[in-house]
Amino acid sequence: MPLVRTLLVEPAGSVGRYALLLWKAFATLGDMKSYRKNIFDQMVHVGLESMPIVALAAAFSGAVTTVQAAYQLVSPLIPTSIIGSIVVPSMILELGAVLTGFILAGRVGARIAAELGTMRVTEQIDALEAMGLNSVGYLIVPRVLAGVFMFPVLYVVASFVGITGGMAVGVFGGFVPLGEFVAGAREFFQPFDPVFGLIKSLVFGFTITSISCYKGYFTKGGAEGVGRATTEAAVMSCVYLLVADLFLAVTLL
Amino acid sequence: MIKVDNISKSFGDKQVLFNVSLEIREGETTAVIGRSGSGKSVLMKHIIGLLIPDEGRVFVDGVNIDDISYAELRKVRQQFGVLFQGGALFDSMSAFENVAFPLRTFTSKSDSEIAYEVHQCLTMVELPDVGKKMPSELSGGMQKRVALARAIALRPRYILYDEPTSGLDPETSNTIDDLIKSLAEQLNVTSIVITHDMHSVLSIADRAAFIYNGRMHWVGTIDELHASTDKTLCDFVKANEYQIGPRS
Amino acid sequence: MKYSNEIKVGATIIIATVIFILGVRYFEDLPLFRGTHQLETELSNAAGLIPGNVVRVNGVVVGSVDAVRINPQTNGVRVGFHVDSGLPIPEGSRTMVSGFDALGVVRLDIALGPADNPRIPEGGFVEGRVTTDLVAELTDRAPLLFDQVDEIVGNVNAVLGDSRVLLGSDSDLQGALLSARRSMTTMDNLLRTQQANIASAIENVNGASGSFNTFMEGNADSLAAAVSGLNATMAQLESTLDGLDGTTAAIDELLGKLNRGEGTLGLLLNDETMYHRTDSLLTSLQALIDDFQVNPGKYLKEMRLVDLF
Repeated sequence: MPLVRTLLVEPAGSVGRYALLLWKAFATLGDMKSYRKNIFDQMVHVGLESMPIVALAAAFSGAVTTVQAAYQLVSPLIPTSIIGSIVVPSMILELGAVLTGFILAGRVGARIAAELGTMRVTEQIDALEAMGLNSVGYLIVPRVLAGVFMFPVLYVVASFVGITGGMAVGVFGGFVPLGEFVAGAREFFQPFDPVFGLIKSLVFGFTITSISCYKGYFTKGGAEGVGRATTEAAVMSCVYLLVADLFLAVTLL
Repeated sequence: MIKVDNISKSFGDKQVLFNVSLEIREGETTAVIGRSGSGKSVLMKHIIGLLIPDEGRVFVDGVNIDDISYAELRKVRQQFGVLFQGGALFDSMSAFENVAFPLRTFTSKSDSEIAYEVHQCLTMVELPDVGKKMPSELSGGMQKRVALARAIALRPRYILYDEPTSGLDPETSNTIDDLIKSLAEQLNVTSIVITHDMHSVLSIADRAAFIYNGRMHWVGTIDELHASTDKTLCDFVKANEYQIGPRS
Repeated sequence: MKYSNEIKVGATIIIATVIFILGVRYFEDLPLFRGTHQLETELSNAAGLIPGNVVRVNGVVVGSVDAVRINPQTNGVRVGFHVDSGLPIPEGSRTMVSGFDALGVVRLDIALGPADNPRIPEGGFVEGRVTTDLVAELTDRAPLLFDQVDEIVGNVNAVLGDSRVLLGSDSDLQGALLSARRSMTTMDNLLRTQQANIASAIENVNGASGSFNTFMEGNADSLAAAVSGLNATMAQLESTLDGLDGTTAAIDELLGKLNRGEGTLGLLLNDETMYHRTDSLLTSLQALIDDFQVNPGKYLKEMRLVDLF
């Protein structure tokens, strides 16, 4: 019986609460007035302030991909342009979105959960409600929308910086001339790849922010509860990000 | 007029309220007293619909608030100002923004009108100069007063105070008590004070309701409270005096 | 100056959008700031063409493929692509797929029509070049060739049958003709066996990936040469048999003379010229067949292409 509870009843309850929360949030989507200002604040927090760390990580992973591709290509029969064919699609298809996702799961996810968790345990959410405000609409919608809007932006930045980093290391490290890198990239470039990356980043943005909001909004138990919610938000965001990644790859590719 | 009709509430296996009824009369200050964990805060949350009773009903101005849509409930809530235990100021906003927040959200007043009203509210709680400070820069008592300014910003008909003096030194407590009294007179509001501080009760309340172990044990005016011979009530009042001692 | 969050966010989104569009165009090898011209074409075989492959004119990249799908009405392949709008594609241009799929470098080539023709409008249709499918041609022609051989061999049999009737049973001539017939039968059988081989070989060729077709284009000449070689062989065989016909005619003439009482049957049978002619014909036929048996590849040059796979 306890096993059934842990394996079936509680997950079902969580999924239900999560779905209801999102339902409540998006039922207030039309009520722009209550979150218009908030959404730009959140976009700055989620998007602009995450840009340096995302760019840094992307630049290094692009550079490392180039170096590793060059390292593994010892055969003189394989043209060095293949480095471009490896770096660009892996940046666009996977690294640009997933790397950004992981960084933001830690940075944004934890931040959202801590913020909402603190608001919950200090009764700020109750205060909002008591004023007659829809706390879900006010707190959750702008955060989720900021994620949905800004993650694709961060994805573009990550891909751009990552590819540039890969190119730079390839050229200045003497692994591959710029022309060959670009030619290799173009040879295998498919217009759907960046679109797929955008879709992915959009889904990741939604996944991370909505899960973190859920964890934060339903925080219980004071400072310790806030800590637990924060950890769970970051971990669960990463887990569901990977699940979403696989799901999208299977359905869209 | 607020009428709590026979409500019961459980959290999981633990029942917190047992058939509690209470009537709050227009223009009066009602103190809900009782020991910590007796269910006072839970009762308050029912009054503004933050919690829904398992059984029984809550009427605000004759409307059963469990029976109306969320949008209508939010309209009802706008007639309430609530002072939460820790103040519950939004810590991402300055004191000024906190007080201005309900005005910005629910009125279409211009920025200058809002600035004027915020200043008025802050003056009413005797903190006219803290507008630029962030909540973390204010002391506990000041936070509560700013939160009170926020609660009255929309000129509510009802103000709910959740433990307004807990955790404050006696002098600050007195200031708060005076504020509650003067607000009740100036704004002609109906106040509900949830507290276990008997000094507050005696100085500000017209009537008292004593909750004991989740049941409404005793209701009456302050005079009746003084005259009461109910043993449980007398024990609670006396314990309070022994614990804190008479205020200066 | 302090910018509001709205301005910061808006500027970021705009910059990201610009980077995205320019980046995609860059890797699609499109002009970054110029428009493109959308066109369509229909091919019989896409040979592994996929969206993103480049479009070239005279070996210069001018655009890329957007969509490749089967057109259910024609069973052809509908290919949507765009080219740099600075390059007019005139009426009468033709498209074709080139490159080799196994290396992933398939592209769409456009052979431009006459430059003074009107430009094909946006969304217009460019004819796909009707490429002669050499494998298909070979498949079609092979049974025809073998029917021809059959027919010839049948004629030979008939002629020999006539000769036997005329010449009775135990003469040298009959022996010689009998051996000729045996040779013919052997050749017939041999060709029949080979027919199966060739058919299966051709099937293999067809079964190989569509890229073979693309590859074929580059080797069209040698394949054509192979087919014409096969034709030549058959012609040779035919002329050999014509010679046999001539021999039979000579026999007819001899028999006529015989009937007319000119000379004797013994003289006829001792007429060495006649015998040697028949004999040498059969020897050369035998040599041809032996050669065919030893080295059929020589006559079926196209088989070498099969060796590739």
